[in-house]
Amino acid sequence: MSRPQLLLDGVSRSFDGFKAINNLSIVVEKGELRAVIGPNGAGKTTMMDIITGKTRPDSGKVMWDQKVDLTRMDEADTARLGIGRKFQKPTVFETHSVEDNLRLSLKGGRSVWDTLLHRRTRAEDARVAELLDLIRLSDARNRPAADLSHGQKQWLEIGMLLAQDPQLLLVDEPAAGMTDAETMWTAELLKSIAGERSVIVVEHDMNFVRELGCKVTVLHQGSVLAEGSLAHVSAMPEVVEVYLGR
Amino acid sequence: MTRLIDRRMGIFLTGLFILTVALPIGNLWMEGKPVPSYAVSLMGKYLCYALLAVALDLVWGYCGILSLGHGAFFALGGYAMGMHLMREIGTRGSYANATLPDFMVFLGWQELPWFWHGFDMFWFAALMAMVVPGLLAFVFGWFAFRSRVTGVYLSIITQALTYALMLAFFRNEMGFGGNNGLTDFKDILGFPLQSDRTRVGLMVASALALAGGLLLARWVTRSRLGQVLVCVRDAESRTRFLGYRVEHYKLFIFTLSAMMAGVAGALYTPQVGIINPGEFSPANSIEIVIWVALGGRGTLVGAALGAILVAFAKTLLTGWMPEFWLFALGALFILVTIALPKGALGAIEGGLGRLRPRSTTATKEARA
Amino acid sequence: MFLRALTFMLGLWVSALPLAAQSFDDLLTRLPQGSFSDRATVVSALAATGDLRAAAVLDALGAGELHVRPSDGALLRVTGRGTNLRGTDVLTGDAVEVAPRSTEAVRVNNSLRRTVRAAMGVLTLRDPDPMRRLNAAEAAFRAPDPEQLEAIDLALDAEDDARVRAALIQARATTILRGDAPVAERVEAVETIRERSPRVVIAALAPYRADTQPEVAEAAADAVATAERTLQLWSQAQNVWFGLSLGSVLLLAAVGLAITFGVMGVINMAHGELVMLGAYTTFVVQNAIRVHAPHLFDWSLLIAAPLAFGFAGLVGVAIERGIVRHLYGRPLETLLATWGVSLILQQAVRSAFGPNNREVGNPSWMSGAFEIGQLTITWNRLWIVVFALVVFAVLMFVMRRTPIGLQMRAVTQNRAMAGNMGIRTSWVDAMTFGLGAGIAGLAGVALSQIDNVSPNLGQNYIVDSFMVVVFGGAGNIWGTLAAAFSLGIVNKFLEPYAGAVLAKIVILVAIILFIQKRPRGLFAVKGRAVEA
Repeated sequence: MSRPQLLLDGVSRSFDGFKAINNLSIVVEKGELRAVIGPNGAGKTTMMDIITGKTRPDSGKVMWDQKVDLTRMDEADTARLGIGRKFQKPTVFETHSVEDNLRLSLKGGRSVWDTLLHRRTRAEDARVAELLDLIRLSDARNRPAADLSHGQKQWLEIGMLLAQDPQLLLVDEPAAGMTDAETMWTAELLKSIAGERSVIVVEHDMNFVRELGCKVTVLHQGSVLAEGSLAHVSAMPEVVEVYLGR
Repeated sequence: MTRLIDRRMGIFLTGLFILTVALPIGNLWMEGKPVPSYAVSLMGKYLCYALLAVALDLVWGYCGILSLGHGAFFALGGYAMGMHLMREIGTRGSYANATLPDFMVFLGWQELPWFWHGFDMFWFAALMAMVVPGLLAFVFGWFAFRSRVTGVYLSIITQALTYALMLAFFRNEMGFGGNNGLTDFKDILGFPLQSDRTRVGLMVASALALAGGLLLARWVTRSRLGQVLVCVRDAESRTRFLGYRVEHYKLFIFTLSAMMAGVAGALYTPQVGIINPGEFSPANSIEIVIWVALGGRGTLVGAALGAILVAFAKTLLTGWMPEFWLFALGALFILVTIALPKGALGAIEGGLGRLRPRSTTATKEARA
Repeated sequence: MFLRALTFMLGLWVSALPLAAQSFDDLLTRLPQGSFSDRATVVSALAATGDLRAAAVLDALGAGELHVRPSDGALLRVTGRGTNLRGTDVLTGDAVEVAPRSTEAVRVNNSLRRTVRAAMGVLTLRDPDPMRRLNAAEAAFRAPDPEQLEAIDLALDAEDDARVRAALIQARATTILRGDAPVAERVEAVETIRERSPRVVIAALAPYRADTQPEVAEAAADAVATAERTLQLWSQAQNVWFGLSLGSVLLLAAVGLAITFGVMGVINMAHGELVMLGAYTTFVVQNAIRVHAPHLFDWSLLIAAPLAFGFAGLVGVAIERGIVRHLYGRPLETLLATWGVSLILQQAVRSAFGPNNREVGNPSWMSGAFEIGQLTITWNRLWIVVFALVVFAVLMFVMRRTPIGLQMRAVTQNRAMAGNMGIRTSWVDAMTFGLGAGIAGLAGVALSQIDNVSPNLGQNYIVDSFMVVVFGGAGNIWGTLAAAFSLGIVNKFLEPYAGAVLAKIVILVAIILFIQKRPRGLFAVKGRAVEA
């Protein structure tokens, strides 16, 4: 049976008359891995802003797990609900150490009192060690995040995303600034994550999308132009026209 | 985890302790009084400023909120204590009115306004010195942080806040003595304010408050909460996406800071003997910022040192060549922001090579 | 023509009043005698003779300087005191030697003085000079005397100057109203009077609201009420005007900030001090003009304006090159550093010119006031409104229509791209900052006309002008205009209820709350770019 984790139904949002999102409908199943592609200005970032509660849609429904209305929530609410987001430009807490970046992302109490009275636990230590290992930053654990290279920051941010233990991961251009080998490895990682969690990847790099081997949604002018396998959508003439064939 | 009292804090607290022991001895018990009484009060005043600077460092250094209105919280604390001291005067005032302070009799008021009730009790005034600034900060912050007013916008409206309060307190109808403020205090808890022992007592109390404030601030900033504050400072949006309610954190630290500023103000009033609306002037609030910037924001101890240093320089210069003071202060603002972005403490410690140059102050803090 | 009418009138007059039958000289001899009320009768009769010589006599009497010399009964006008007396024969105007105590004053009391004034009015109603006739008619309107009704009627018949006629009709109305004419005539008089301006209507008719004739009382009450409503409207208009005036001051102080803060995103806390420098430039220019070329004084502001713009602009460029340049992308540090600059500028001016207020004079074309309806408008305020709008218009032109404006907007929107396209971004930064600073200097020229020129001048405006820019929406110069004028007007409408200080507090609190609601101001630049 289909169990939609996330449902966008007829969502629109305009900025000063410009329709960034126009009657957009997308369904992402639980455990699904989905790639979203589209030319610049197709509305990818605005779509993610709407899902995470950063931007409110002018109209339309955004439902989480068939019961929660995401349009009434802000970023912190959606994060607590289990939506993790990785930005296109890696954003980590530069003055904190790599290890602290992960610790601060770990699932757990987020209220003022929780953090004020927080004490470290063995379980946390173990989880952090595990994540450091995964993102290959164990050696850099005590270095400030500012000292990391661009690629390492990408890793760290993915690690932070995983530390949150989210139900849905929104990943914006994870392969940017990575070597080919790293890109492949990232694709593997995302594929392994999908299954128990849902993942939406926004990407420009076609090789990367091909590597993911998942259902692809093509956005154009704020709405869905095509949906299906990469082979299927690449064969559609309108897609070729607006995006691939340019 | 880092220690509550690191080396920097240890050195400062030791110095503070020596000072609080040495000054009273020199003033009260040594032959020929090598420490004059005015010096004791002056030091007490500096220590209040230092506590105020620590309060501002909490919000600015750790959470990136540049408040240009912290002088308002300080002044409100000062007024709360001033109201108690006015009530203490009792029949010793010029009009010998048991309940009404002199300025109310002068204005022809018949009874005490409702908000003056309770201030005859010291504990109540002391409580209000924290509650009133805290409440104002809470209400103001609740509005401001919830609607995500940040950066210079926030700075500008905090400045407008203290400016509005200054205009309000200048009005006689407000019931706080108008232009003249509150003054002519006689004693506190039964001890005459002019006596050397009372002055020493107040100075020691200020030192204790500063030490307590520093330790509290240090405890807060080294907790997980303190780390979140730095996250908010460096990448507010990212912090939200991790599920932290940024506005709650800001509100917490802003209110805590305002209460600390209120305590500093409450200790300040009896030592200088007057509190007036000038304390609300925007220029005063900005001066606090330079203390913190000079000492090094995000260092707590540096902020305290910066306050004492600048206040001391002000005392010297305004007495010695008053024309020069504003030039010096203005130059200090320019110099510190351009040449010493980490403050003197950051520069000195960086210069000692104890820490790697690329890391910033807050990280040093975390790893110190 | 006029003389014939006068003669005709005189004839009627003489037959109408028995007392007037006596000769002019006869009346003169009777003037010093009898009680005050006797004298009043004589005064009226003198006026009724229409003899223009009576004017000099009555004038002296009204001034309390009419003396009689008991030795020969001559009437003299005596001025001076003690031994230093000067005398004039009231009839001939010749100087006369007067020894102390050789004359007796003809005493007057208030009621007699009133009679004298009214009589003078009657006399001058027939003066050959229409201006004096007009004044006389106005005087008769203000102090109606029923006994002069006929004199007014006669004057009215003979009058051919339209303005004087209108005034006489009004005077006739008050005179009828004062007397015991039939109800219908008095009501009609009320209707005539209510055509006057509201303040005059209230002054003339308010007493008749309690008239014994109910119809008259009702008509008067109605007229007064209407006049009061009109006045109320005018006072609203006055508030709007005061608001516009305050708004133009705010606009001048804030529009430079709208450039540096709104367009460049740089907080310049020394902005107020640049305004102050503009004001001191005006002071220096005026001083130089006073010493070297006093005849140019009326031009002093026009000479000072470009100098103030240039000087403040240069200081601004120096601030940008020396300080702000190093702090781009660090707005809070910029704020602190420019605050430091403001302290230094304040102290520099204090050291150079002293801490006290400096006197900056108003040129003749900025002094005085004129009236529109019930609205008093001072020239200096009007010129400042005009000046503010001109500065704003020129600024808009520069930003929208000139190459430098285009470059400024380009650098603001995308610095890197602008740089790639060959725009010297650092030069544009300096120019933009200089422009904002120069406008601050211009504001100083205007403010020197209405505010104290002291080293603290800038401090008084800094919070207000930031509020204006933030309220209007940073980055939107039109928003600054709207914000300045709306804040100015709201402030002036609050003032009558709350007082100046409280009004200001209310506005500050309102803006603080408003910014919470709309953090980007009234006319926010919307869109994704802003949120990022």
